[in-house]
Amino acid sequence: MTETRSVTSSAETPTDRAAVRTDEVWKVFLQGPEEVQAVRGVTLVIERGEFVAMAGPSGSGKTTLLNLIGGLTRPTRGHVWVAGHDVAGMSARALAHMRLQQVGFVFQAYNLLPVLTAFENAELPLLMLGVEEGERRKRVHELFERTGLTGLEDRRPGKLSGGQQQRVAIIRAVASRPALVLADEPTANLDSATSASLLEMMEELNRETHTTFVFATHDPQVMERARRLIRLVDGQIDSDDS
Amino acid sequence: MERGRLMLRLAFRNLRRQARRSLLTAAAMVIGGGLLIFSVSLGDGTHEDWIESGVRMGSGHIAIQAPEYAVSRKIEDRLSTQSVAAAREGLRSPDIAESVLQVVPRLTTGGLASSPMGARPVEVVGVDPVAEAGFSTLDERVVEGRYLEPDDRLAAYVGAELAEGLELRIGSRMVLTAQDAEGEISGQLVRVVGIFGTGIPEIDQRIVHIPLQTAGTWLRAEGAVTTVAVLLDRSRAVKRTAHHLEDVLAAPIAAGDLAVLTWQEAMPELDAIVKVDDLGNYMFQGITFGIIALAIVNTILMSVLYRHREFGVLQALGFTPRQTGTLVMAEGVVLTVLSGLLGIGLGLFVTWFFWRDGLDISFTWQEDWTFSGVVLDPVIVPLFRAARVIQGLLFILFVGTLASLYPAYRATRIDVAEAMKFER
Ligand SMILES: Nc1ncnc2c1ncn2[C@@H]1O[C@H](COP(=O)(O)OP(=O)(O)OP(=O)(O)O)[C@@H](O)[C@H]1O
Ligand SMILES: [Mg+2]
Repeated sequence: MTETRSVTSSAETPTDRAAVRTDEVWKVFLQGPEEVQAVRGVTLVIERGEFVAMAGPSGSGKTTLLNLIGGLTRPTRGHVWVAGHDVAGMSARALAHMRLQQVGFVFQAYNLLPVLTAFENAELPLLMLGVEEGERRKRVHELFERTGLTGLEDRRPGKLSGGQQQRVAIIRAVASRPALVLADEPTANLDSATSASLLEMMEELNRETHTTFVFATHDPQVMERARRLIRLVDGQIDSDDS
Repeated sequence: MERGRLMLRLAFRNLRRQARRSLLTAAAMVIGGGLLIFSVSLGDGTHEDWIESGVRMGSGHIAIQAPEYAVSRKIEDRLSTQSVAAAREGLRSPDIAESVLQVVPRLTTGGLASSPMGARPVEVVGVDPVAEAGFSTLDERVVEGRYLEPDDRLAAYVGAELAEGLELRIGSRMVLTAQDAEGEISGQLVRVVGIFGTGIPEIDQRIVHIPLQTAGTWLRAEGAVTTVAVLLDRSRAVKRTAHHLEDVLAAPIAAGDLAVLTWQEAMPELDAIVKVDDLGNYMFQGITFGIIALAIVNTILMSVLYRHREFGVLQALGFTPRQTGTLVMAEGVVLTVLSGLLGIGLGLFVTWFFWRDGLDISFTWQEDWTFSGVVLDPVIVPLFRAARVIQGLLFILFVGTLASLYPAYRATRIDVAEAMKFER
């Protein structure tokens, strides 16, 4: 798994230790004749190992900013670096490689492929990365054990509870040891007890593996647990407290 | 390798997840594949029959003639005794002999047949009675009398319509007149020993068989023939055998003594009929599979649109657009190949089981079973060829791949951010 394979941009700064760096990043959607400025000049540094929540009212641009960082959306202006790689200049293919190697995603729900078992879902990125079978089993089993999922490996997502599904999604996101995990409202569909245990699990993974977690959330529990809280309003950073 | 296995696993499971849709599409493919094999094997059987009849009536699968004879049709352009010997020798060489069923020498010339009742233009064929009887089907079409026999000298076997026109009966005398090898007009008295009827006017009016020796003496071309006609055991071996023969006979061919013609060259009309009929079959299959392809496009495209979010997840995980497309292709190709195999297998089995002894289509015909100079057998016996089955499989694979292309392309174009919106 070489990092150079995914890098095509000349704006790369390999010495950059930050997990995420954005510089005056804008995202403007065209909705018919109207412009929607979803993200308006956000400049931000997130260091490795941080546990960050982005909050803000609905429509404030949380999801869009997360998608910009993960390379699912291209910025209209400005730059985004993930682990030193300039995301803006990458081809779709290079972006996919970058995500595979550097970024794990967790969405609000329906994260898992319904035709694969919990285990197969969790090992998918490892398999795509070419990690050999023994190593895959070891890593995934370990994570299943640590998160209390042991015994559910062969279940299809349809036979798992919402909280169990989100756990599997998180395992999948961290198993390849990415620089960054982006989670968009991961607890929105869960009751507060389940949310709490899920958050605990992520905090633990964050402490042990130094994986960077960035959340977009409305959930007060998440904001409380986060060690840094960024508030967005109208696509701009309103406050940033550590 | 493992990624490939993952793709296949996903393809299989997704097809199984939408079992009903997959099965409906597969059913169309199975029927299509079955029809393909059924129509191809019956078509090939029919053509083999046409070719067989045409070839036996005509110049064989392979005709060896003097180079100019094909155009001139004149006795001047005949094969010398040495050329005939060389040709026969060539036909006995190892690779060729095994596919040769029968070889007949013929000395053919255009001329006039006359009786007290008048004269008619005819084509007189000097034949070796024994060899000819095993080659041509004409000897089986006796209406009166018998076919020529080895001891016959001044005997003639004539068509029913000629016999009627000249009021010939068994034992009647008739005079054949033609230009001989030296350009002189020469006559020959013969006696009718048999009358045949094929139902084909051109043949029943014109063809007269007489013993080869009689023809040779009459036309002052003893030992010479115009055509050495060769019957092979399978019409498919024609091109290969002809090439072999050309290699073996390279010296006399280079010297301009003889030429090797395939039945396609010697009888271009028959070749054209077979090709036109094949084309008709191909068009029918093209249309059938066009419809099946649409069903496949529909199935796979529906599944792509329905699983928008899933493809979004995969791309968010790091699948490239191309890998996403490959996944969709895999589904389409797996679906078509499996059902295509099943269809072909079923087609082979059903065709073999019900019609291996022939499909009698005489009820669809008029009483006259002739077609462009060829007497047809109303019972079609299917012909199974490995090459055709492979062709069919490749065709189905091609259709499946083609039909999966558009859905696959759609899958590569998914806007991931859009697909991941929770409202969907
Ligand atoms: N594809 C799009 N086309 C047009 N406008 C869009 C698109 N995606 C987002 N927007 C707009 O951009 C703005 C920010 O949306 P975004 O989804 O980032 O907000 P959010 O903070 O995640 O909101 P929520 O808390 O409801 O999830 C909104 O006004 C939204 O309508
Ligand atoms: Mg959002």
